[in-house]
Amino acid sequence: MANLKVDLCGVEFKNPVIAASGTFGFGKEFNEIYDISCLGGISTKGLTLEPRLGNPTPRIAEGDSVILNSVGLQNPGVEAFLREDLAFLREKEIAIIANVAGRTLDDYAGICARLDGLVDMIELNISCPNVKCGGMAFGIRPDSVLEVTRVSKEALLHTPLLVKLSPNVENIAENARAAEKGGADAVSLINTLTGMVIDIERRKPLLANVTGGVSGAGIRPIAVRMVWEVCKAVHIPVIGMGGITCAEDALQFMMAGAAAVQVGTANFTDTLAMPKIIDGLNRWLDAHGIADINEVCGTLQA
Amino acid sequence: MKELQAKVDSNEQIAPGIFEMTLRLTEGIDFRCGQFLNLSVGDGSRLLRRPFAIIFYDPSACVVGVCYQVKGKGTKLLSAKKTGDVLTCVLPLGNGFMIRPEQKRVALIGGGVGVFPLVSVLNEYSESDKHFRSYMGFRSKEYVNAFSMFNKRSDVTWIATDDGSFGSHGTAVAEFFRDYKNARPDVILACGPAPMLRALKSGLQERGIDVPCYVSLEERMGCGIGACLVCVCKRAGTEENVRVCKDGPVFNIKEVEL
Repeated sequence: MANLKVDLCGVEFKNPVIAASGTFGFGKEFNEIYDISCLGGISTKGLTLEPRLGNPTPRIAEGDSVILNSVGLQNPGVEAFLREDLAFLREKEIAIIANVAGRTLDDYAGICARLDGLVDMIELNISCPNVKCGGMAFGIRPDSVLEVTRVSKEALLHTPLLVKLSPNVENIAENARAAEKGGADAVSLINTLTGMVIDIERRKPLLANVTGGVSGAGIRPIAVRMVWEVCKAVHIPVIGMGGITCAEDALQFMMAGAAAVQVGTANFTDTLAMPKIIDGLNRWLDAHGIADINEVCGTLQA
Repeated sequence: MKELQAKVDSNEQIAPGIFEMTLRLTEGIDFRCGQFLNLSVGDGSRLLRRPFAIIFYDPSACVVGVCYQVKGKGTKLLSAKKTGDVLTCVLPLGNGFMIRPEQKRVALIGGGVGVFPLVSVLNEYSESDKHFRSYMGFRSKEYVNAFSMFNKRSDVTWIATDDGSFGSHGTAVAEFFRDYKNARPDVILACGPAPMLRALKSGLQERGIDVPCYVSLEERMGCGIGACLVCVCKRAGTEENVRVCKDGPVFNIKEVEL
């Protein structure tokens, strides 16, 4: 058994496999199927200061090897999370990343201040494409990425800050550099790509919100390319995600330079996807005579 | 709930575009009527599973049955599955139907593929002291095949078709209200398209009928286990959502906005 432990910004993850925000709730439902303490960590459902109802339904659609969602940040609010979910996750002894979103810079500063010291990491959702007049604006341009990162970082005294980057931008490496300049301790990518599916009989979009975020195996090559570009552009740790379904997929991201990975849509296809990926990483490392997962990171020959 | 492999036992067309599939599970489950499973369609390009009501569970053989309509690429792939093919599923999911001991007379109202979740009620209570009256609505006589499942165990079954090609010309809800005085149900269980459930809700209100009424809802789902918040509906009179897959799919008709 190889060492799977990774360290990001002083936070220890027992392995590099983290549940991606929005696909895993706060872990309780999946824990009914398997003990989630085997995971490296969890990025929570996106939290806002106040509870949110989200978008109308249908909120999900399917394409070839991809899905689209437009849940629209439905969440119980940060106070409900602290009251009802945090203690459960603490018991599981996994790294807790609170994914947070806001409509204004004050929202981001406020929610970061509220969570400071209570979770292991904070992940800024500046790229959720689903809320009108919401997060999208912050994630598009490098100057606003820098600004929202700076304001959030100033509100944090104890908890490292992770900024989740949108792929729906001109140059993702430039936005990563902006996050780093703004004080981000790490970046994660990619969030979903904006897409659309049409029901030709009704001549209507399948999603009630018209457009939604595309995720799943079909976006993986785009995600790997963007992670590779970002890893070359910044000096802070990178968490890679986008269409990971198995250990071999995860290894592509890590060879491109990611220190850890997140898994989202694969949890829908197979509820045991993440334990299988962790097991697969162990087997791959053993088969290749590698004693430590960290030895794989950034070893791409290109 | 469990993540299990499921081997296809049979997969047969029972009406135009409607299939009945039986699946042999690798281990037993704890099942109650009205619960569902989330089934892979056995093709790597379809990332979402399909949620289907379980119409029966045979614990001695660990076999479950589902019925589905071919609607898109996923269900089309499913319809081509052969005996021995291996799929995966999570089950049992959702809360299911509950009939209290004192509720003896049960009305079942189903429209289209919405009749199938109700079949599991008849199967579960087949040896009980319950009396069932069933009201089924279909598009036309070609689809009526599904009602043979009802005829076996329901005391009375009324059929309506949209085009009048079988049974009466009209809807299952209209049949139910026509028969209401004879039926005097203690509880009403219903499943079908949203317009049907809305007609039932307003019909009960207009007539001042306060018999407990439970409906099984359908919504496009992601995870199927309550984590992703994709399949929600509004809790009536509140600014709060409920999850169809986890808090439902069965709700008191007064509890949800249809």
